[in-house]
Amino acid sequence: MAELGLKAALSLAQIGAVMGVVMLTVMILTLAERKVLGWMQDRMGPMEVGPYGILQPIADGLKLFFKEDIIPAGANKFLFSLAPILALVPALIGFAVIPFGPNETVEVFGIQFKPFVISDINIGILYILAFTSIGAYGIILGGWASNSKYSLLGGLRSAAQVISYELNVGLAIVGVLLLAGSLSLVKITEAQAGGFWHWFAFAFPAPQLLAFVVYVISSVAETNRVPFDLPEAESELVAGFFTEYSGMRFAFFFIAEYANMILVSCIAAILFLGGWNAPYPGTLIGRVLGENYGWIENIMWFTIKVYFFLFLFFWLRATLPRLRYDQLMRFGWKVMLPIALGNIVLTSIAAYLFPRG
Amino acid sequence: MTFRAWLKTITFYEILVGMKATLTHLLRYKPITVQYPHEKRTLPGNYRGMLALLRYDDGTEKCVGCDLCEAACPSRVIRVVSSEVPGEPTKRYAKEYYMDMTRCLFCGLCVQACPVDALGMTREFEWSVYDKRQLLLNKQQLLAIGDRSFPVREKRLEFQHPNVAFFNVAYKHLPQKAS
Repeated sequence: MAELGLKAALSLAQIGAVMGVVMLTVMILTLAERKVLGWMQDRMGPMEVGPYGILQPIADGLKLFFKEDIIPAGANKFLFSLAPILALVPALIGFAVIPFGPNETVEVFGIQFKPFVISDINIGILYILAFTSIGAYGIILGGWASNSKYSLLGGLRSAAQVISYELNVGLAIVGVLLLAGSLSLVKITEAQAGGFWHWFAFAFPAPQLLAFVVYVISSVAETNRVPFDLPEAESELVAGFFTEYSGMRFAFFFIAEYANMILVSCIAAILFLGGWNAPYPGTLIGRVLGENYGWIENIMWFTIKVYFFLFLFFWLRATLPRLRYDQLMRFGWKVMLPIALGNIVLTSIAAYLFPRG
Repeated sequence: MTFRAWLKTITFYEILVGMKATLTHLLRYKPITVQYPHEKRTLPGNYRGMLALLRYDDGTEKCVGCDLCEAACPSRVIRVVSSEVPGEPTKRYAKEYYMDMTRCLFCGLCVQACPVDALGMTREFEWSVYDKRQLLLNKQQLLAIGDRSFPVREKRLEFQHPNVAFFNVAYKHLPQKAS
């Protein structure tokens, strides 16, 4: 009994730590996006709150927290309240299977404990795909329950877009799964150890570069970011599915979008760029200070990879205009889907001819 | 589609060119915006800002109440109530002078129309107020704007009449005109 309680306490502490880091990253991202976007457009970004505007996320959070909570007349109150939660929870729950560092086991008070992954389930990537699909329900329901034309159109667009591009995400991942022979994110990462030429984006039998590009583009579309931000197209739909939302409910959608960005960046780093593996065999810190400290460098590499993808999101947003809707659909179904399918065929042939191990 | 065009399409060449442009701007960060309330841009020399009534160097006001500015104004900003100088039926001055700055479009036609150069455009532009009734300016306010914006005043011509103004402090110290 005491062992169970201790296990629960340890898990809760771990969940709290991961949620804390994710929320902190979301805060950093809201500022970093505005700053990077500003710098790329020869502006300064937020400068007023704190030195160089670094306290802006706190000011934004306080503002959203104290704003009036408005439910529009004619809205379905239950679904209107449910939608932000339905969008936020799947975005945060995916982090349960993300391995942030090496798969080490630490013994705390006689209990086996993995500090860098909350739970290493053997269908990790499937679990994340399943939950991100539920996130689309939050957007669709939020759009429908608002009793507003703009919201409904935004929700509809989001539904069609998420379905089209989630297919591509799923198919792009298959190549990696064929090579790794596992759905567990920890095992997939471990299969890429020993230098960047073992990363699945460049790995020997079938480099997954095409799948990598397909995955990145599709994940941008899946998180409703520019240039695929049709569900919330400002110039057409005011704010899309969260037009009628204000205060904390709006903040929930906002956090969900950024948490989704972090999640897809984590998955891209894990599946294609070797997760927490350094681009050379072993770790430098591990060699200098002893293997016990190698995890510091592993976590550092993971963070660098994730932030590279997050920067890519901002970069694309600063560069590209929004796609037209038929272009989006054509691109998804006629370009991305055949590439992903062809990649599966090639990878399976290669994996059959050169079996691993 | 030629091979080159096809190659450009599949490698996202145009998108990469665009991304290179944004990255160049990020790396050579040189903002063109100004942190407005803290630092202000330099105004051009012919900047047309807030309107003001001017005085001569002896403190008497220039305006002779001719109404030409009122006639020249395209948006009917100006209202002049002209009246005789007490005791001198041939001389006139602006007894009341109103400007409704909510309507002003800062074209400067009134300044051009004025025969005695009694109107001037200052370089003030921060005139946002919470109550727009505060933008209906009377003669005293317009003269005050002129006083703070034009410290160097024009010299009164020798035989020009000192216009009467009730708030004109310097008037009493003028030598009386020989009648």
